[in-house]
Amino acid sequence: MHAAPDTYAIDLPALHSELAMPYTLTPGRAAGTFLAEIGKRRIIGSRFASGLTIAPAEDFSPTDGESDFEFVEVPATGVLTAFTQVGGDIIGLIRLDGCDNDFPHHIVEAEFGKLATGVRVEAVWAEGVENSILAITGFRPAPGTPIGKARPAGDTAAPVTVILYTMKLHYEHAYGPYYARLFDEIRTNRRIMGVRTSDGDTALLPPREIDDITHRRTGTWKACKDTGTIRACSIINMEFLGQTRPPPYVYAEIVLDGASTRLIHMITIDSVEAAKTRIKPGTRVRAIWRKGEREGSLRDIERFEVIDG
Amino acid sequence: MTTAGLNRVAVVASAQTELRPAWRNAQHIDLISSVVADVFKGTGLTLHDVDFVIDSGSDVLDGRSISNCGFLGALGAHHKEESRVEEDGLWAALYGVNKIRSGASSVGLIVAYSKPSESNVDAYWSSMVEPFYQRPVSFGQRAASGIQAQRYCAEHGTTLRALAELTASRWRAAVEHGTVAIDSVPSADTVLASPDAAVPLKEMMLARPVDGAVAVLLAREDIARRAARTPVWVTGMGTSLDAHSFAARTPGRLSSCEMAAKMAFRKAGWSADSADVAEVSAASVVGELMVLESLGLAGPGRGLAAATGGRTRVNASGGALPADPIMATGLVRLAHAARQLALPELYGLDRPTRAIAHGTGGVGMQNHCVFTLGI
Repeated sequence: MHAAPDTYAIDLPALHSELAMPYTLTPGRAAGTFLAEIGKRRIIGSRFASGLTIAPAEDFSPTDGESDFEFVEVPATGVLTAFTQVGGDIIGLIRLDGCDNDFPHHIVEAEFGKLATGVRVEAVWAEGVENSILAITGFRPAPGTPIGKARPAGDTAAPVTVILYTMKLHYEHAYGPYYARLFDEIRTNRRIMGVRTSDGDTALLPPREIDDITHRRTGTWKACKDTGTIRACSIINMEFLGQTRPPPYVYAEIVLDGASTRLIHMITIDSVEAAKTRIKPGTRVRAIWRKGEREGSLRDIERFEVIDG
Repeated sequence: MTTAGLNRVAVVASAQTELRPAWRNAQHIDLISSVVADVFKGTGLTLHDVDFVIDSGSDVLDGRSISNCGFLGALGAHHKEESRVEEDGLWAALYGVNKIRSGASSVGLIVAYSKPSESNVDAYWSSMVEPFYQRPVSFGQRAASGIQAQRYCAEHGTTLRALAELTASRWRAAVEHGTVAIDSVPSADTVLASPDAAVPLKEMMLARPVDGAVAVLLAREDIARRAARTPVWVTGMGTSLDAHSFAARTPGRLSSCEMAAKMAFRKAGWSADSADVAEVSAASVVGELMVLESLGLAGPGRGLAAATGGRTRVNASGGALPADPIMATGLVRLAHAARQLALPELYGLDRPTRAIAHGTGGVGMQNHCVFTLGI
């Protein structure tokens, strides 16, 4: 299994791709209050009805889910309960004075080889950082620091309600031999190549080794035409994240002549009203290839347009 | 607890690609369709006999959401009942076994795959931790593994040299039985000379992410007896989840592994000391020792002795240290454990009858799944 295509193997470098997801994170009451207070150098924890005291603050007890709690202010001193070093960065678990839980943070101003569990530590505060646990740069060894106590927090600031956050993930996607030939042919020959289904003459696009429906080996390669028929479409007249062109345009699922599967592409339009009558399932379209440098992707087709008549 | 009226379920066959640091010339669908086509060979069963497909993989590692929808054809799931488990593939097998046990289905195809080479594994783990308190301070899988190791070595006096020797022996086993791509088998000195990863752990003491796919075919008793040369019965299953916050878990223990094992052994009616074979997953070499101890194969701090010299043959496939196809590692363990019972001659084993397969997931091995197998 997993054979190369029957003509020639092409080893394209991987496709670089980035996913950047914007989030509006909701910290909730407890974390929101902790984040609102930490810029003022106050560490807010939760004391549950059972007596369990934890910091940083949480809405629910991590051990039994209890939600009845009051805010406490806990000291910026505690002990190191475990540690490791990743890269140049020492990460430790800290138990703040008066608390029953550990939490991870950076250990700073310390020599790794001289660290030991049980050592007293104190917070090192960052300048000008708000609404983040990084308002504390980290914890440093502070032998002999007096042991503090958690006490009622009194009035607390209004909780931070939203934290803007973007998760960026990078990928290097392998093409594999089938997609590699598809995109190489698009770049080199402006030709859209599929492979025949396992039991027929029409082509699957994109090409693949195994026919999705029969789960048998697909057939030989076949060049599809760059003309085809719309089988489904939607007129897009709104903006959204991830769009590749400004609206309005038509999103279309097109069966190219010679293929049996739908290719997703775009049809540019001048008027939404005219598109409503002109573009529909059954409408014949042709690819308009992009001028200039070819990149070996579906972007080499600039758009599809309606074949008049 | 009565099991009357429930079907017995067996592992009929399995198939696995080579596990490589990177399958650069293949897509996910290529790896998946390869094992799906392979798993039926010799069984007499075909895809037509399959009632359902359950698959495991990570959308974050794949770089697309609901990625199984794009892989349905490769999975052999066209117009079939298909379901995705966003956990290690051993949980997919648990789901599949229960579907057959209940009488709802007869034959199930379980598939897990991984291509971490296309992504950033540290970012994948980072995406799993809590975003307000933990992610900003760079807490992730490495830190959790390092802290586990620091605690374990401090408590039990385990030396780095001993950890390196165990690691090297796992790589040797992987070359022999694991179908793992390895250029040269490292010595203990090579392991010790690899860079610090999460002190005290060296880079090679962490599970090595690899690409690959695995498929396991499950069937009801009467079908399994016709299709499999030696049906391998699933005699017990257990699963347990620990607290999401690593710091909130009991230090020095894998409580959820202990609970999952207890659940599986209760169903099986036997305990770890009568297992002939164990295939276990782990995030690090210390993680593997902690799993062996949590399963009951060794007392606290005694995992090293059980890892290589105990009554139970542990990780004849090499386990997760030389090859960790994230999200598929536990299902690979099930495939190897079943193979060792069905084809002991390939492993130099003398009539083994009982096996344990173990999978884990989450930062710092939060979740555990344990299978007991018998012939």
